[in-house]
Amino acid sequence: FYVSAALREKRTEGRVAALQNAVDEFNKGKNEFNTKATEEEMKLLRFQKKLDEEKGAGLQGLCLQDTMEALLNLGLHKQAEQLYRDFRVPDKRFWWLKLRALAEKHDWEELDKF
Amino acid sequence: MAAHLSYGRVNLNILREAARKELREFLDKCAGSKAIVWDEYLTGPFGLIAQYSLLKEHEVEKMFTLKRGRLPSADVKNIIFFVRPRIELMEIIADNIFNEDKLHSPRDFHILFVPRRSMLCEQRLKELGVLGSFINIDEYILDLIPYDGDLLSMEYESAFRECYLENDQTSLYHTAKGLMTLQALYGSIPQIYGKGECARNVANMMLRMKREFAGSQNQILPVFDTLLLLDRNVDLLTPLATQLTYEGLIDEVYGINNGYVKLPPEKFSQKKQGEASKDLPTEHKKLQLNSAEELYAEIRDKNFNAVGSALSKKAKIISAAFEERHNAKTVGEIKQFVSQLPHMQAARISLANHTSIAELIKDITTSEAFFDKLTVEQEFMTGVDTDKLNMYIEDRIAQKDPLIKILRLMCMQSVCNNGLKQKVLDFYKREILQTYGYEHILTLNNLEKAGLLKPQTSSRNNYPTIRKTLKLWLEDANEQNPNDISYVYSGYAPLSIRLTQVLTRPGWRSIEEVLKMLPGPHFEERQQLPAGLHKKRQQGENRTTLVFFLGGVTHRRRSQQRVVKSRVELNASERTAVYTLKILLSTGTRMGRGQTLR
Repeated sequence: FYVSAALREKRTEGRVAALQNAVDEFNKGKNEFNTKATEEEMKLLRFQKKLDEEKGAGLQGLCLQDTMEALLNLGLHKQAEQLYRDFRVPDKRFWWLKLRALAEKHDWEELDKF
Repeated sequence: MAAHLSYGRVNLNILREAARKELREFLDKCAGSKAIVWDEYLTGPFGLIAQYSLLKEHEVEKMFTLKRGRLPSADVKNIIFFVRPRIELMEIIADNIFNEDKLHSPRDFHILFVPRRSMLCEQRLKELGVLGSFINIDEYILDLIPYDGDLLSMEYESAFRECYLENDQTSLYHTAKGLMTLQALYGSIPQIYGKGECARNVANMMLRMKREFAGSQNQILPVFDTLLLLDRNVDLLTPLATQLTYEGLIDEVYGINNGYVKLPPEKFSQKKQGEASKDLPTEHKKLQLNSAEELYAEIRDKNFNAVGSALSKKAKIISAAFEERHNAKTVGEIKQFVSQLPHMQAARISLANHTSIAELIKDITTSEAFFDKLTVEQEFMTGVDTDKLNMYIEDRIAQKDPLIKILRLMCMQSVCNNGLKQKVLDFYKREILQTYGYEHILTLNNLEKAGLLKPQTSSRNNYPTIRKTLKLWLEDANEQNPNDISYVYSGYAPLSIRLTQVLTRPGWRSIEEVLKMLPGPHFEERQQLPAGLHKKRQQGENRTTLVFFLGGVTHRRRSQQRVVKSRVELNASERTAVYTLKILLSTGTRMGRGQTLR
């Protein structure tokens, strides 16, 4: 478990590697939940990195919820939806988020669409 | 000055005096003018023992807080460091001293470790090459601090974390030591009861220490009849629930620290502008709360719903008293009236303060969010749908409410259900990680380790049985005129209080079954008293019980405050409960909060 403590120190690339170590440890300890959660975090980190490079979205280090919010604020709806599907976010939470984000931006047209 | 300490059933001033005497002796050891460098954490507890004036009498001229770099310049002969025995702090001290030496002023350095010196720290100082700079290295044993007329505290923040998460028993040792000191002053306590792993440990340590002192018998007539040691993890539910007494709510909303509360100034300053002429104190931001204040002593333990009426009643009494001046005819009568004036003024100020506080709190308690949360809590406590996914928690996560609130509710559900179903638990955990960030995986892990959050292992849920046997829930709690302790949480009677009550009458043997369901062993020990010290007890006389919570009474908001508290209280009948509760409440918050730390 100490492996994941180490992860807080490092930035960017090192982080993914450290997380991989954590995954291995969790696997050994048969902690299914933590294994999966850690894998998801890695997935998220890679996704953020990709988007940061493509669009300069500045997502690095945000949690999933904040990432989706940031994406919606930037008008990147497709990417947000992708996250929502990939990470099996409960509908309720996502719609709430979307509603709020759109309302804040006064993006009534997009709001109208659903 | 410390009048409130002697009001209680047991005169705690003795303890305070003993502590002050020791401090004075140490200060006198360092001759000449001195400056104290404080470990910031210690200033609060010390404030309860000695005010600045006492220090001044002993030539303390300056006070600083401990931080890196150079010490602020001061024209004094001695520099005294008051610190906890922590390695990190040693490094700061060494840093201070190095920087100092360059400044060519010959000064004497002293260190006072609170509550105990540690070899490890001295070793560290040696490694850093500064151990030789100290003239005096001493310890100041400060274990149990008299907090209020009927409350002692160790002011030991991290006890819960250390005991249940890190398996560190240092705090237990301090506890046992502290209780021995207490017995030296107030006489041996003939009966010791306890429940829980840590309680067992403390009792063992105490008995061992007693054996070490074998030859010297304590000749003081015992003040306490019974000591009850309770592990915090026997009753995890109580601290998770929102406190509903006046004091409890102040703590929930603003946090009470070392007996002081900090309040937003706006509300108070407005008041003063309106009331132009009166000589009110200028700054009201920080307010001391203890039973020395008549009005506060009266309302602190009332359910918040009853505070309003109590305040208005008081207001009428005070204005009636002021009206009396018109009736005063003779010089004698006027004189008497004038002599009462300061007292009445004080009463009026305190009334104004508490009315403002009550208003502030009322804004919160009447809000919809507060009510919703309370409803959910009460559902859990009565055992409604505790095994299902809770909609409210789910919604709150979606709205990204403060994490601590979510965790508290989750833990509560877990405790009431004797663990959550794996599926439910995983869902919550996933939601939290996704919403609040992956790093909280450590938080959750800690909560699980401490037993606040756990997957259901057996299909049997003990909580309903415990609830029924100990009558933890009363449907019609009377908030205005309480006849049972359950009024404090508007229905829920804290488990630990019930244990205390049952112990008094009819005794724990009657609830053997339930005790077995709670974690940890329960035990009973007797300490032999020297002949002739047995109190002859008249029928109906109240017995005094000291209740000690290991791992903290529900407490304050700041992360991880886990103060070990003890409570002196009346035995016998319902009053017991009311009294004990005070701590539970004064201490009312955050169990989960602590665990948020990674």
